[in-house]
Amino acid sequence: MVKLTFLEADGSQVETDVAPGNSLMQAAVNAGVDAIAAECGGACACGTCHCVLPQDWFERVAAPASDEIDMLEFVIEPQPTSRLSCQVVVTEEMQDMVISVPDT
Amino acid sequence: MFTDPAPNFNFDPQSAAFAADPYTTYAAMRAIDMPYYWEEADTWMLTKMADVEAVALNKNMLRNNEAFVSEIDRKEQQRAINFHDMPYHERYVQVNLLESEGETHSRLRKVVFREFTPAMISRQREAIQTFVDGLLEELSDQNEIDFVSDFAAHVPGHIIGRVLGVPDEDAPKLRHWSEEVVRFFDPGREDADKARAEFATKEFYEYLLDLLATREAALQDDLLSRLIGHRDAGQLSQDELIATAMLILMAGHGSTIDVLGSGMHALLRFPDQNQRLRDDAALMKTAVQEMFRFESPLPYFHRFATEETEVGGRKFPAGTRFGLLYGAANHDPVRFDNPDKFDVGRSPNRHLAFGGGGHFCLGNHLARLDMDVIFSSINARFSGIELADTKVEYKRGLSVRGPKALRMGWKRA
Repeated sequence: MVKLTFLEADGSQVETDVAPGNSLMQAAVNAGVDAIAAECGGACACGTCHCVLPQDWFERVAAPASDEIDMLEFVIEPQPTSRLSCQVVVTEEMQDMVISVPDT
Repeated sequence: MFTDPAPNFNFDPQSAAFAADPYTTYAAMRAIDMPYYWEEADTWMLTKMADVEAVALNKNMLRNNEAFVSEIDRKEQQRAINFHDMPYHERYVQVNLLESEGETHSRLRKVVFREFTPAMISRQREAIQTFVDGLLEELSDQNEIDFVSDFAAHVPGHIIGRVLGVPDEDAPKLRHWSEEVVRFFDPGREDADKARAEFATKEFYEYLLDLLATREAALQDDLLSRLIGHRDAGQLSQDELIATAMLILMAGHGSTIDVLGSGMHALLRFPDQNQRLRDDAALMKTAVQEMFRFESPLPYFHRFATEETEVGGRKFPAGTRFGLLYGAANHDPVRFDNPDKFDVGRSPNRHLAFGGGGHFCLGNHLARLDMDVIFSSINARFSGIELADTKVEYKRGLSVRGPKALRMGWKRA
């Protein structure tokens, strides 16, 4: 299991253990992170699972595909290290990563 | 093939009993340990949230079966459902963003998605509020109204028409065409309905051509003008532009009327929840989300498997048609506590009323905004809202859900 922390806009932190292979979105939903609405269920089709990765992690995870880049244009206040959490697969190396979740 | 278990229910979605209460039937269907084979439609019906969600999210499950059915077979299927020999309908209604997959779907969805983001939709709030205030003002001297025909039916045509760039005075025409075309998707498909659907599509097409011509002469800040820009940039063809405009006008129309009616009905059936919402307006967001779950206005869609797939613990061959009963999944007790209770504060409330996967409803933010403005405005203006006729009849059929009429009394607050 990989320990992740979701940092919500109000400053609260949600810690969770997740099996590698799940998406960050699934980890957030299962941990009850309300700001990750993930309306479409993880198909890169709604833009409601926006998260912001730490700079070093953003560079290390697989780069976003073109459909995700298109969708990221439309999230509220995108950041340079924004991702759609449904498109980021959790790996063992992500242990202790802190993911910011902007308010929606 | 599989052996059907003997079902202890009668699945007859056209019946009055099903219209009155589909949820008892859905619960019985969920209770059998495999998908239910609906022979009449050669479709495996899914009612459990886990199964419906898995199929909606499966990229190998498609809206159309072009990938594995020959053109000749497809024509034969089209004939079998009486979708043939209707050139306008075939060109502008049977082929569109909703019915496409792959490159076409991604390209068209990208063009339209940007128009329906929360930021774009929030620009409509003031216009929606003004329109709703005007309509409520007109009705406020009446002590009793039919919420469906006197109020709900007038709203979405104006709103979606305004987004697209249709003049307000033409909104009733949109409603008429939309209903004539959409009705033909119901089972039955008599030739008389077919002729009406085709005629409505032709009129709708000619209207849009005229409107396009006026926009081409002078572009405006509306969706139609921006679609022209995308067409001229080579992102969609003229046919795709027309089909997309029609789809936008139709997709958000009847379903919004239906969920406005069923949402109001739910508030009246559960007065404690209505009072809770009146006491705490901050609950409006979860209340609207719950209205969509409780009586999902588009409770049924289908997918075709493009390869052998396991669903609900069984393997199905490529070509299998699955029925996704969103209305049933949204009452699955495995996902929702007390699923048949209407709870304006329900959270989490991850339901499938807007579908899931790549075809997730583009208009969801607009629909939610409509509902938010409408129910907030009604609560602010009126009190003592109650059913004037407790016998509320819902539309028959599987693919739509909403009350035919909702007689209710109210008075100015």
